[in-house]
Amino acid sequence: MSKKIITPVASLAHILPEDYRALVEKGPHGKSVGIKDLGSFKEITEEHPHCAGCGVSLGVRLALAALPAPEDTLVVGTPGCSFFALSQTAVNYSNTAFGNQNSVASGLKRMLSIRYPDKDKDVVVMAGDGGIADIGLDMTLHSWFRGEKISTIMLDNEVYGNTGGQESGMSPEGQVLHMAPKGKNFKKIPVFEMARTAGCVYGAKVTIASPKRLGMAVNRAILLARELGPTYVQIYTPCPTNMKFSPADTLRIAKEAGKAHYAFEEFMTEEAALRIAAMEGGLEKEPE
Amino acid sequence: MYLSVRVDTEKCIGCKICITSCPEPNVFIFLPEQKLVEVNESRCKACGLCTTVCAKEALKIG
Repeated sequence: MSKKIITPVASLAHILPEDYRALVEKGPHGKSVGIKDLGSFKEITEEHPHCAGCGVSLGVRLALAALPAPEDTLVVGTPGCSFFALSQTAVNYSNTAFGNQNSVASGLKRMLSIRYPDKDKDVVVMAGDGGIADIGLDMTLHSWFRGEKISTIMLDNEVYGNTGGQESGMSPEGQVLHMAPKGKNFKKIPVFEMARTAGCVYGAKVTIASPKRLGMAVNRAILLARELGPTYVQIYTPCPTNMKFSPADTLRIAKEAGKAHYAFEEFMTEEAALRIAAMEGGLEKEPE
Repeated sequence: MYLSVRVDTEKCIGCKICITSCPEPNVFIFLPEQKLVEVNESRCKACGLCTTVCAKEALKIG
C-alpha cells in the first residue's frame, strides 16, 4: 500500500480515525526503519485480537516491523492464529484456503512481476505451523522446488492454537496437549532441513526472544527472495494458552527453547552469502 | 479494575527492551529527548511480558 494511495484528501482527513491519520503522518512507508526504531514510528499493525502474552502476535509485530518496503509488500496468510493480526494490518493482504498460501503467493508474485516489471514487489507468506508444515506442506514444498521468488515465514507455536490445542506436526515429541493427552508420539517435522534440500536460497531459525536476529533474518529473506529464489524463516512463538504457562513467561520459554531445540541457525547458498555481504557492506576483500 | 503497565520514570533509562518484548503494537512510545518510554494505557493488555525483561524494574502492572 503506497503512501500516495493511503493519503486522504485534505477535506476528508478530519473524519478518518486517529490511528489512520497517525499512520499517514508517522508510518514506516518509504523510510528505512526497522526493529531498532520501534516506538518512534507508527506501526502498520494495530490492536491484535490474540490472547495476552501471545507469542504469535509478537512474532507478527516484529516481522512486520522488519519488512524492508511495507508499501510494496503483499502478505499472504492462511487461517489460524497467525492470520488474526494480519487482517488489521496496513499492508496489501490476502487470505487463502487453509494450506494454499504458497500456491496463491506464487501466482501473485508472477502476476506482480508482469504488472510491475521495473519495481520490486515483495510477496511474503506469513502462516502458522499448521498451514505450512501440516495442511499446506505439499504446496509449500512445491513452491520451493519451482524456485518461486517468495519468502515464507512460519510462526511456529507448536500447536493448533485457535481450535483448542490439537497436536501439530511441529509439536515436539512427547508434548502433552489438550487433545494429545498421552503426549505426541513422533518427532517434530524437520521443515528447516527440508527447506535447504528443496531449494531455498536462505533459511533461518529464530525465536521471538532475539528480536534483532529475527529482524535481520526477515530482512535478509525478503531481499534475497527479490532476486535469487525462495527463502524461509522459522520463528518460535510459544503459546501461553495451550501450553499452560503464565502470559508473562512467554519470553522466558522462548529463551529456554533458544538454548535447546530452537538454537539460532542459518543456511544460505554461496550466491546468497555474496549478496548478503554486498548488501550489508561487509564485502570481504579478495586476496591479491 | 482496568489493568495496565505503569512506568516509573525515575528508574527508566530508555533502553527500549520493553518495546521489542510487547506483543501489542503501538503501546510503548519512545521519548528520545527524555530517554524514557511512555505507555498508551488504553492499548495495554497487562500480560506482563515487559515487566519480566526490564532490568531496572521500572515497569509494574497495576
